[in-house]
Amino acid sequence: MKSTGLLFVAMLATACTKGEKQPADTTRGASAANLRTVSGTKIAFPHAGPPGEWQMPAGDYSSSRYSELASITPANAASLHVSWAFSTGVLRGHEGQPLVINNTMYIVTPYPNVSYAIDLAQPGQPLKWKFRPENSQQAIGKACCDVVNRGAAYADGKIFYNLLDGHTVAVDAATGRQLWRTKMGDLVKGETITMAPIVVKGKVIVGSSGGEMGVRGWIAALDVATGKEVWRAYNIGPDRDVKVGPKFKTFYAHDRGKDLGANTWPGDTWKTGGGAVWGWLSYDPDLNLIYHGTSNPGPWNQDQRLGDNKWTAAILARDADTGEMVWAVQTSPHDLWDYDAVNENILVDLPIKGKTRKVLVHFDRNGFEYTIDRATGEIILAEPFVPMNWSDGIDLSTGRPKGKPEKMPSEGKHVKDICPSLEGGKNQQPAAFSPQTGLFYVPTVNLCMDFESRRVTYIAGTPFIGANAPEKGGPGGYRGEFMAWDATTGTKVWGIKEPYPVWSGALVTAGGVVFYGTLDGWFKAADARTGKVLWQFKVGSGVVGNPVTYTGPDGKQYVAIYAGIGGDMGLLIAGDVAANLPYDVRQRGTTLPDLSRWTSWGGYLFVFSL
Amino acid sequence: MRIGVLLHSVAVVFAAHALSACSDSGAQGAAAGKQVRAAGYSDGGDSLRLLTHDENLPAGFPLTGQPLVLRNPHEGDKAAMTVGAQLFIAYNCIDCHGADGAGAVGPSFQDGRWHFGGTAGAVFESIYQGRPDGMPSWGGRISNDQIWMLTTYVRSLAKSDISTENFTGETVERTGH
Repeated sequence: MKSTGLLFVAMLATACTKGEKQPADTTRGASAANLRTVSGTKIAFPHAGPPGEWQMPAGDYSSSRYSELASITPANAASLHVSWAFSTGVLRGHEGQPLVINNTMYIVTPYPNVSYAIDLAQPGQPLKWKFRPENSQQAIGKACCDVVNRGAAYADGKIFYNLLDGHTVAVDAATGRQLWRTKMGDLVKGETITMAPIVVKGKVIVGSSGGEMGVRGWIAALDVATGKEVWRAYNIGPDRDVKVGPKFKTFYAHDRGKDLGANTWPGDTWKTGGGAVWGWLSYDPDLNLIYHGTSNPGPWNQDQRLGDNKWTAAILARDADTGEMVWAVQTSPHDLWDYDAVNENILVDLPIKGKTRKVLVHFDRNGFEYTIDRATGEIILAEPFVPMNWSDGIDLSTGRPKGKPEKMPSEGKHVKDICPSLEGGKNQQPAAFSPQTGLFYVPTVNLCMDFESRRVTYIAGTPFIGANAPEKGGPGGYRGEFMAWDATTGTKVWGIKEPYPVWSGALVTAGGVVFYGTLDGWFKAADARTGKVLWQFKVGSGVVGNPVTYTGPDGKQYVAIYAGIGGDMGLLIAGDVAANLPYDVRQRGTTLPDLSRWTSWGGYLFVFSL
Repeated sequence: MRIGVLLHSVAVVFAAHALSACSDSGAQGAAAGKQVRAAGYSDGGDSLRLLTHDENLPAGFPLTGQPLVLRNPHEGDKAAMTVGAQLFIAYNCIDCHGADGAGAVGPSFQDGRWHFGGTAGAVFESIYQGRPDGMPSWGGRISNDQIWMLTTYVRSLAKSDISTENFTGETVERTGH
């Protein structure tokens, strides 16, 4: 604890940014007793399968990461302990989460994307099978931000997941036998796949990564039985390719018009314009809409792509049967700061101004939380949830942000102190929602950056970035905060400040406990109402994965989490947390100079119980 | 095991050598059909000659020909280093290997340690033929002379040993993606 205090002091010195808007914070002066909850809320679509299983990446189509399991409570969480652990055999960033179906746990490793079926019904948890896919080694150098995989989907006795080299595979859940393998992306163009698919009405929905490599982003549907492509929609280009047609009835007038996915780019620059789909998918069965975000436009250097650059950095709603676009909200039109919009879209029903609204809640990289009508794409509210200084807010009459010219970089205009940094106020680490409290549990990042643009040439399969953007701690002397958030008003209810960006996802349970991990290797349980930390355990390597909970064959509630630092934080920012590469020793980064005192690369699954 | 390693290495060398026998159609724009001699790298008239790596050969391995040795025509040349630094940005090397080669997606060049060898010839080969963890093959896409200038620059980045981390030393600015 002493050294943590010293760390905080050290970080205060680096917090040099002024003029940022602080999110509304109702915790100041509030005691635990009067902390707010929101009643009358509902998760739009329920947990998939029995409450004791975890069948989808986020537990349900709504992306709530909420579980009905209630054995672990604030009263007993202090007696949590390690039940068992499993080495994945792979170092590098362990993003994503396991699935638990029929007393079997399924996990997918970072590259080479080996999958394991772990028999939970046997003492010592032996493997049922281990599947090693064919997966090109070339993919390692085409992945911008470590060789992560965000997990598998399950349906009809099959496990579906993506390989870094651009393939999607289906594996027999009982035997581990490969059923089909479909090439979806082209490594030569820098296309990789890292996202977790979902299965909707007999189709596996997958999307591409590679927004830093000048790809042309897409989302596609494959037939569950055969692996054949049913539809593919690009996110940039003419209407036919992006599937804008008669069904497209988006809310804001400036988003309507012919071929905006091509016309909002100079010349043919849309062909290498990014707009990948590497984040999380949600699905509304009533509206039959799939919700997904799109990545930053490429290159980062804005001078090479003047215009709105549709449909990059946008939230898109598409018909699940055909891929046709139904509405679009471009959270960062003509993005200047690498603010991808790929973060999860959580589908809930919330009471807002006396009415129950069917909404989608999205915590964007650009630092704003959006509460959006999920049928129409109308932004109901948008408020900053982290220190943010690039904008004067979102104009709700147009849906567009009011950007500050002094924070807009261009070639020859070197801008200092932009908050949040390119990591965003929140990145891929998914938030959770509890209908008990009506609150969202949000892992956030408090970093700022300087930004210098430079001209870049498109060379297929190499980074198409054109910028240097060193990052630093944000204002306030902390670099991350795990917070509870009220999306009916856009206000923070409580927060746990962390010395490092919170890069793990969240899990919240009917027991009233919320779980998350930290980059310095702690796995924590907190009271969902008050934010009081109830228990923590040092898992050794930084946590960038997402907790899940399930009921074991013995009837007990278990909580599982990966330990294995990586992704942007472990590979690019920290620079020095690897020890298995004697030919690659890196100096510490100024952003997180002390992180490697606390953690190194790892590859473990930890399972806890009372 | 030893044999396996040896065979792999020879196969790679053959492939690279076959490529290098083609005309240099890089950024310097050689006229079509004109055979441009790769500076110091290959003998365009003899595509079957082995480029041997002595360190991979068991003692007593019979050598079948005169080994070719790669020599950097710009070794230590400051002007070539300057051009190499510009090429390092122009060909997007910077976004994988980091500003000043501090390491990002690809390995660091500042640590003086080399995955595939740090001699000028080995670095040239890494750029020319690519490496399996995602390093693209640049042979035939840019001129051999530019590869030598990149080699000169990359090899100049190595600093003092940083193998011990005492948490008081230097830090570098890093960009995430």
